[in-house]
This record gives sequence, C-alpha cells and structure tokens, in this order.
Amino acid sequence: MLNKTTAGEDYKKRNFLTIFTKGDIFSKLSYIICGLANIKNGQIVKGLLFLGLEVLFFIFMGAKGVRLLADLTTLGTSTQSMVFNESIGIYETVQGDNSMLILLFGVIATVVTACFIAIWVFSIFSGERARALKSAGKHVPTFIEDVKSLANKNIHFLFLSVPVSGLLIFTVMPLIYMILMAFTNYDSEHQPPGNLFTWVAIKNFITLLSSSDRLSATFWPVLGWTFIWGICATFSCYFGGMALAIVINSKGIKLKKFWRTIFVITYAIPGFISLKFVATMLGERGIFNVLLQKWGFTDVALPFLTNTTWARVSVILVNLWIGVPVTMLMVSGILMNIPGEIYESAKIDGAGPFTMFRKITFPYMLFITTPYLISNLIGNFNNFNAIYFLTGGAPNSLDYFKGAGKTDLLVTWLYKLTKDSNDYNLAATIGIIIFVISAAFTLITFSRSQSMKNEEGFR
Amino acid sequence: MKKTIIGLNLDHYLKAMAGAVIAFLAIFAPYASKEGTSVSMISALLKRGGSYVDFILFGAVIFTALSAVASVVLFFMTSVKGVRLWQVIAAIQTVFVTLLLFSSKKILESTGLFNSFLSKNLGVGFFITLVAAYFTLINVMKVTRTNRGYILLTILSVIWLFPVLWIVLTSLRAEQGYYVGYFIPHGFTLQNFVNLFSNQSVLPFGRWWLNTFIVAICGCVFNTMIVLMTAFILSRTRFTGRKTFMNILMIIGMFPGFMSLIAVYNILKGLGLNQSLLALIVVGAAGAAMGYHVTKGFFDTIPKALDEAAIIDGASRFQIFRKITLPLSKSIIVYIALGGFLGAWSDYIFPSMLFGDKQSSYTVAVGLFWMTDFRRIDTYYTQFAAGAVLVALPIVILFVWLQRFYVEGLSGAVKG
Repeated sequence: MLNKTTAGEDYKKRNFLTIFTKGDIFSKLSYIICGLANIKNGQIVKGLLFLGLEVLFFIFMGAKGVRLLADLTTLGTSTQSMVFNESIGIYETVQGDNSMLILLFGVIATVVTACFIAIWVFSIFSGERARALKSAGKHVPTFIEDVKSLANKNIHFLFLSVPVSGLLIFTVMPLIYMILMAFTNYDSEHQPPGNLFTWVAIKNFITLLSSSDRLSATFWPVLGWTFIWGICATFSCYFGGMALAIVINSKGIKLKKFWRTIFVITYAIPGFISLKFVATMLGERGIFNVLLQKWGFTDVALPFLTNTTWARVSVILVNLWIGVPVTMLMVSGILMNIPGEIYESAKIDGAGPFTMFRKITFPYMLFITTPYLISNLIGNFNNFNAIYFLTGGAPNSLDYFKGAGKTDLLVTWLYKLTKDSNDYNLAATIGIIIFVISAAFTLITFSRSQSMKNEEGFR
Repeated sequence: MKKTIIGLNLDHYLKAMAGAVIAFLAIFAPYASKEGTSVSMISALLKRGGSYVDFILFGAVIFTALSAVASVVLFFMTSVKGVRLWQVIAAIQTVFVTLLLFSSKKILESTGLFNSFLSKNLGVGFFITLVAAYFTLINVMKVTRTNRGYILLTILSVIWLFPVLWIVLTSLRAEQGYYVGYFIPHGFTLQNFVNLFSNQSVLPFGRWWLNTFIVAICGCVFNTMIVLMTAFILSRTRFTGRKTFMNILMIIGMFPGFMSLIAVYNILKGLGLNQSLLALIVVGAAGAAMGYHVTKGFFDTIPKALDEAAIIDGASRFQIFRKITLPLSKSIIVYIALGGFLGAWSDYIFPSMLFGDKQSSYTVAVGLFWMTDFRRIDTYYTQFAAGAVLVALPIVILFVWLQRFYVEGLSGAVKG
C-alpha cells in the first residue's frame, strides 16, 4: 500500500517537462519514439501499440496530410477552366481545385493531428507511470490487466470511446469546418467546383453587422424579432403552463390525470405534424377563416400568416398551444414538492389564494426554475420547428436579403441561407453569432445557479 | 332563507341569484340589432326559421329561465341537492349561451330579419345574458364549494382539442381537397387510410412508416445506451479531464445543430452512407451523448454509499453500472428511450437534406411534408391528415401510457 502511494506521488509530481528533463534516456527517447518507455518497463504490447499508431500517423502525414494542411492556407489555386484540346479539336473542362473539399480534408487532417498529439502526450505519461512503478519495485500492469481495468478503474475509456468518437466525427469536425467557413467567401457566387473560394478574415462579420447594405439591414431586424419572439414565447408558455398546472393540481379538481392527458396530447403529437396542420388551418381558405366567417365574426378572411403583425402574433399563440403543456407537466412535478404546511400556516394567517400564489408559489417556482427558464429562452431563440413549419419565415419582405421573411429567426434564416441560396459563409457567420448569444445567456445562468457551481454538495 | 346549511356557502347565494334573474330579464332586451331592426331572444325564438342550430337558442332561453326559477325557488327552500341541480342547470345554460355566440349568424339569418349578419351586431341583451350566465355559474359553484377551475379547464380543453379534432375529421373526410366550407365532413370514409397504403407507386407511405419505425427503434436503443454510459461516467466516476469534457460538450451544444449539416452530409458522402437509413441512425447515435444532462442529474441523486459498499464487496465499476445503477433508473431509462423514439418520428431537417429526392428512403416526416407542398396540398390534404393520424396515434398512446416517467424525468431535469 505504502509503496503504491509513493510510486503514485513520484509519478504525479512529474509534469510534461520534468518527465523529459529528469527522465532516463528511454524516457527522453520516448518523446520521439512513442511507447519506448513502456516497452523498456515491461509493457511491450502497449508500447508497440503506441509505436504502431505513431508510424501510421507519419505514413498518413507523409503521403497526404502535409499536402492537405498546406492546401488549407490557400484553399486551392487553379480554377476549373476550359482548355482547347488540339487532338480532338474541342474545348475540354480541366478540373481545378475544389475549395470545399480542400477545406474539409484540411479539417480532417487537423483533427487527426490533434488526436495524434493527444495519444502522444498520453503515451509519454503512460511510459512514465510504468517507469515509476517499476523503479518503486511494484508490479507493472500487463496488457491483459490493462484491458481488464477497462471494466473497472478505467471504465471511462471504455464507456466514452463510442460517444467521443461519434462526437468527434459527426459533431466536432463538421463544426470546425463550418466555423472556418465563416471566414471564407463561400457564397452563392463562389461555388466549387466551378469557382474557388478563399479566406477573407472577418469580412463576413463586418458586412453582416455594420455595413449599410441589405445584409445588415436584414440582420438587425431579424435579430430583434428573434429576441422578441424568444422572450414572448418563453414567458407566455411559462406563466400559462404554471397557471394551468396550478388549476389542475388545486384541491377539488377531480380526474387530474384526465385533464392532464387532454393537454398532453398536443405535446405528444410530433411537432411537424401539429404545426404544419395548424399552418394549413390558418391559411386564407383554412378552416379558421371559414368558421370565423360562418360564425359571423368577420366578413373578410383574416391574414393570419400573411400580414407581418398578424403572423407574429399567430406564431406566438400557436406556440402557446404546444408549449404550455410542457411547462404544465414540469411545474406539476415541482408543485407537489412545495411543503403543504406553508400553505396551511398562510391560510391561518388569513392569506387568500392570490396572496399565497404571489408570496409562496411564485417565488418558490422562480427560484427553482430560473435555470430552466434561461435554457428555455435559448431554446426559443433557436426554435426552428415552430417558425419553419408554421410560416416558413413568411411573409417575405422585399427589404430583406434573399428569401428572409418577417417571422424568420436567425436559425431559420441560417437554414434558408444554406439550403436555398447556398451562402454558406453567411450561414456560418450567423451560426457563430447565435453561439455568442447562447453562450452569454448560459454564462448568466451558470453564475447564478448554485447547483451548477456546487456539484458535489448535491449528494 | 336559512342562515346556514352544512355543505353550502350561502355568502354567495344572493350574487348567484341576482345573476340568474338579470340573465333572465336580458332575454327580453335586444338580442341583435342591425340597421334599425332589433330583436330580443324571445322574439327571435318565436320567429325561428328552421335552421338546424335553432335548438341552441331554444336551449339558451329555456335554461336561462329554468336557472332564474331555480334561484327563486331555492331561495325559499334551500337544500344541498337543490343547489346542486341548479348548478347543473346553470352549467348547461352557460354552454348554450356560449354556443349562441357562434351560431347567432345562422339562427338570425334563417329568420329572414337579417342578412350578412356579423357578431358586432349582437345586442346588449345578449352580452348581459352571456356575462350574467358565467357570473351565476361561478357564484353557484362558490355556494356548493366546487372548484371554479372546471370552467377554465373546459374552455381550454375545447381550444386545445379543436385542431386535433380537425386532423381526425379531415382524415375521415370523404370529400377530397384542402378547402371545404364546413367543419364536420359530409361523408365519412376510411379510404384515405387505404389510399396511403395501396397506390405504392405514388406514395410509398407503408415504406416510409417502416423506415421511420426502424430508425426509431435503433435510435431508441443506441441513444439510450450511449446516454446512459456517458451520464454514468460523468456522474459516478472522477477522472482527469472530466470537467473539461463536460465544458466542451456544453460549448458544442451552444452552436445551432444544423449549422453543420452540410459538412455532415459531405462526410457521410465520403463514407458512402448518403441516402441510406444507416446514416440517420449513425448520426443520431453520434450526437446522443449531448443529451446526458437529465440522466446525469438523475444518477447524481443515487447515494454514493451504494457504490462504495459495492466496491468494498469487490464489484467492478462495470458491475456497479449493470447491477446497481441501471436497476434503480427505470424511470429515466424510459424517459430517454421515449425521447429517442419520438425524436426519430419528428426529425425533419436532417432526413430531408440527406435523402433529397430518393423517395423510397423517406421517413414519415419528410414524406408528409412533401405532401403539404402548395402544389400538392389540394390532392393530398386528406391523405396527409390520415398519415398524420397514423403517425401520431402510436406516439400519443405511448406518451399517455408512460406519462409518469416523462414527468419524473422532466422535473428531474430542472433539479439537476
């Protein structure tokens, strides 16, 4: 036991530099030849694995990687062009560089390099650990034992390997690719393979945020509406859901489950169905207009989704239809946790139901649900479904940049820019701006939420 | 009138009675007036023109009168049973008067007194009846100590179920087309459902349904496994880089998800997976770890002492996961599995980008969306509704059945 701790401490004192400066010749060499220290100290298979990975990496870099990384700096130089082929006597297309693929492969090469560096550092520490154990006279774990420890002490390697590689390939890598794209001019006029695109530094941000052209005249109103929408949608659903939950859970209401189920149905129907359907109901000849005219409420069709103000109010109201049940379900759970005695004593003190709500229920609710409220706010800023399926951003406006409409949020505009007009650089720029907004709000939540700060104290 | 009766709160009796009497008197006040013509509810009833909604006016008048009579009679002979009966009468009266708001046009136009009637032509008498009816009902409910929440819940339920009802009715409608000038179909049929499955060449709905089902089942299984593993590691073990890992996940999560879809699409193309269902499953599972929060919050509440005891008994971490943590987490497992299953049914953006025009790979979301394109909506509207019902039904049943777990998971999310 004692030996083990000393060996461990000896190992822990070392950092990336001291392993090199204080290590023996094998430790030093293992900075160049991965796994050498492992091999020397008895972990032959492990050491060979490290070495093998290193060799593979250098083969990859030598064959392709270096070229890919070098291309990344220019994003391609030769444009696709027509060249006269004298032997056949016609003009032929000569393949040029494809900037998009160069960028993509460049990112892949970068990520592979980053992974290798992680393995390299890991191998150095692993070698040092083996050395420390051996010099302390302890048993150095064999390869079989290492594998077995995956089910126990090192279970995080086993369990996280799948999620991490999944995230790396399908989330991190694409994300880096798109972030980089925000600094290029990959718009509808620079489409590979016909054209090249290139680095433009922060020009996209400048045009979007502060130029006088149509782009920034679109961006700011869309951003403004995104905020209005987010705040209205979040708070209307929050208070609506809370009110509904309080009514359903109040004393004297029978068949609580029945009532809850009625409201939950709208939440359970997949959003694309209910929203798309409601959108058809709100159309000029949709059932709402038909009925309103039949009932005599109006004699002309109401422009539910075609007039800017009407459409904006409509989406908020329809969102209420979907969002209230969610809050209702959540609040129901919390309401049951408020100790009943508080209400009893308030009642004895002569408080009415409204005072009790204002002084007990609401403060308690607000205290518990502030993090939820803020994450919900971020969620609503990015509430793609509600807008896209309901209005698709319409009514479109001539003052706005291609295709953007008066109910478009930043996210739906981003989607339109990628899907309809192929202005990937602008889409990526907007994505980064959304990230900045979300990050700001998240920081506020984190600094205010105790449960986030004090994770261990929770147990 | 007696001073007190057990089971009744007579403080509100007089208010309820006043409401009932005022509602009754307002029957004789102008119900509707337009361009000089004015008519009370009573005279409209006497003049009735044979519209099929006349019974609403009839019911409103009868029950308003009954309510007023009941209020007077009960004033002298107060009893619990009597007031309860009055409450029922007042409730029915309120329903009828409210319905009148929507049917007055039909009723009054059929009398021949009005044409192109609008709600703004409704007279003061009607609105007094309407308000007084609600006022009476509320106060009668106060007298019988019944929760007034029922009124609100009933109104909201109608609003909430209205679109749902419309989807169901449309799916059963025999008349095709998007535009119909009425709510209840003239003919009912199951043909819309049959059509979805029969004309394979045009709309392979059965195929779409099966595709989605496969993706949903796989997504459900893989997502649950990945989320459980990630949450377990982040909650129950401590290792170097754990905080960093969580922070990285948080940062990734703040980028809008489909910003990177183009890149994902290109990578899938490189792997030769584009236009296949496998891609949907793989990408879904790859991102699943991002949703570990709720589960971690749940695992955090399982006492650590359990793990420690197991370790002393010689259990490995893997055994703890399998034999202690998982059996204690039934509700959260159902929550994630349900979430994964539902996600597959409602995901539209990624499949639509992935499959392009390869119809045979569509999921129901993409397929149904394709039907609602403005060029096709007139042809496919009723079939779209039928498809929507077929998609929504299993999910709603599943959801209602497993509601309890969902609520637990959801409130757990807030705590964590």
